[in-house]
Amino acid sequence: MATSLAVAAPVVTRTLRVALIGNPNTGKTTLFNRLCGARAKTSNFPGTTTSMRLGRFRRAGLSDWDIVDLPGLYGLYFEGPEARIVRDVLHGDHAEPAPDVLVVISDATNLSRNLILVGELLAGPLPVVMALNMTDLAARRGLTISTAALSERLGVPVIPLVASKGEGIGPLVEAIDRVTGQRQPRRPLPSGLEALTAWADEVVASAGGSTLPAAPDTLTERLDLVLTHPVAGTLVFLLVMGGLFWTLFAFAALPMQLIEYTFAQLGRLVSMFLPPGPVASLVSDGVIGGIAGTLVFLPQICLLFFLISLLEDTGYLARAAFVNDRFFRRFGLPGHAFVPLLTAHACALPGIMSSRLIPSRRDRLVTIMVTPFISCSARLPVYVLLTTMLFASRPALAGFAFAACYVLGAGAAFGSAALFGRTVMRGKPRPMVLELPTYKRPSLRTALLTAKDQAFAFLRTAGTVIVAICVVMWWLSAYPRVATVPAAAALRAEASQPGQPAERVQALTSEADRVQAKAQQAGSLAGHLGRGIEPVFRPLGYDWQLSVGLLTSFLAREVFVSTMSVLAGGGGGRHIDAKDEGVMVRIRQMSRDNGSPVFTPATSASALVFFVLAMQCLPTLAVTRRETGALKYAALQLAYMSTVAWVSAFIVFQSLRALGVS
Amino acid sequence: MTNRSVTPIRLCDLEIGRPARFHDATIDAEARDLLRALGLTAFSIVRLCKRGDPCIVQVRSTRIGLSRSLAGAIFVIPQPSGAV
Repeated sequence: MATSLAVAAPVVTRTLRVALIGNPNTGKTTLFNRLCGARAKTSNFPGTTTSMRLGRFRRAGLSDWDIVDLPGLYGLYFEGPEARIVRDVLHGDHAEPAPDVLVVISDATNLSRNLILVGELLAGPLPVVMALNMTDLAARRGLTISTAALSERLGVPVIPLVASKGEGIGPLVEAIDRVTGQRQPRRPLPSGLEALTAWADEVVASAGGSTLPAAPDTLTERLDLVLTHPVAGTLVFLLVMGGLFWTLFAFAALPMQLIEYTFAQLGRLVSMFLPPGPVASLVSDGVIGGIAGTLVFLPQICLLFFLISLLEDTGYLARAAFVNDRFFRRFGLPGHAFVPLLTAHACALPGIMSSRLIPSRRDRLVTIMVTPFISCSARLPVYVLLTTMLFASRPALAGFAFAACYVLGAGAAFGSAALFGRTVMRGKPRPMVLELPTYKRPSLRTALLTAKDQAFAFLRTAGTVIVAICVVMWWLSAYPRVATVPAAAALRAEASQPGQPAERVQALTSEADRVQAKAQQAGSLAGHLGRGIEPVFRPLGYDWQLSVGLLTSFLAREVFVSTMSVLAGGGGGRHIDAKDEGVMVRIRQMSRDNGSPVFTPATSASALVFFVLAMQCLPTLAVTRRETGALKYAALQLAYMSTVAWVSAFIVFQSLRALGVS
Repeated sequence: MTNRSVTPIRLCDLEIGRPARFHDATIDAEARDLLRALGLTAFSIVRLCKRGDPCIVQVRSTRIGLSRSLAGAIFVIPQPSGAV
């Protein structure tokens, strides 16, 4: 309760710490971005999965301030993780230092409800400044509030603000300066939600306001008629999602190609300057390849988060969750799960992390467990490779198979959610209680900063792991060194014969390299591992080479194409593009030890199904473990997805073989 | 006031747009807490904006998407249209 919030008097002996606090959807993050711009970092509150943004507000000629963006909450009394963290931070009981000044951001169009939190904060000793945001929207809706009367009634500065336009920032900074170091006088404030509500209504009335708007929010009401309609709303949702994915693939393609090209050139440059040998191979194939393999996904991740932020800012995401709730609920998922599943199309890691917005732990767990089924961008090169392998001369069918992969992944996610809801995670999703915020013009600045934050979060989480994996994979496939095989030596000897045309010398040398590379793969640790696990995958139609591809791609799916290319004898760069005809031809022509092709139609279809359904991503497991707080969920996810993938691939391979497709 | 206006009815049965005063709710503590945080406290005025599952209700200036199962377990007392 509000009156129990007793903390030590603030003593400012370090950089002033200003905390932004407020209800969700009040423009807190917009104000934070206005104050700190790109000088912010996002991390979790120590020991929790609740994210915290910390930024620096620079003041010319004056000392800087640290700005903390606290999680949005409706009240300190509320029993949620966000409220617990905020209570701890304000008490000084948290690893994060307690703030010196509180800026409570309130929505001027919904003042009465926002005042509940203000009342609770006024009961504590920390100096408070009230930032009354969205005063432009309030004025348009006929809500007139006297900030002077409000300030007098509350006994704290009240600053009108339009954070999206940067209006009111100067007076807000001055007000923070004024209250810094002041001890807030104790006020006789009511305790208990009902009493605080009555107090808030009375404060609003005394400031000339009303608990209900003079004019209805006709824009929101009209848009909701369409956007939340079961049929029209679903159609709009499909259109919005179609547009989002089209934008994602159309606009991310060029920067992705540029990244691949740049790193391919960098790899070649290293090969030119470093003498051939293990160091050059480690740098070009291991390190540069690993960095390229991580950075190549950045354009899609940045673009997706940019678009999601715009949609969220407009208020549409809440409507999308609303429209999807009924459909999702049939499979035991809440409507809230829409955002994580959408985000997972770029990468499962941010998808799983965004499941934090789901209030119920049971609903959150089910969502996390099924999110990796959604086809992420790391699967794309594998889909391109295997669908083209299946339908080399029929691009329409290849395109259909490509789309079917997405449908299969989504189907597996929903089916598994229903299964989990009837077995290990019994129960129904919590009935929807979702605030539908007012429609607003989105903030480009917020969207850009969100994209930047998410890009860094991805690089921190995935980048280090993927680069490390690539270096390990390079080592496994490069050692022990295999002596020159007689076939390769004979080819080189033939190439060194005098009088050979230059083209023939080059062809013979390339063939010698290919033969030697294949021998190296077969004799390497990775090769031995592949042969070791081959019996597990033989019923799916895979030989030891394909088994090596699966083994390496368990760490990160996108490694599959480059591993197969290495095994095909085409060199080991991670900057290998699945659309490269040379790579495709080499992989298609791969042969087993008995001379039969590695990739028959049945094998390709089986491998495609396996990759759609398998948990082939170590970083995802690490994030699942972190977000659920228990290793058992990561283990269950791995075991369940691997089993589903193996059984499905087995059925596909054996069925096709029985039908004579081999 | 007619007899009908003082008899609590389910929120999901409320006439669209008609104000009603919150009376009681037979829902779990978690949902009750969240709805209280969103403004649905004793005697607060609520309106049904859209029927269906989920439906949309308005409490003060807050629009809330609400499962029909919850809207059916919340009881309100309809008020005359011009009363609030």
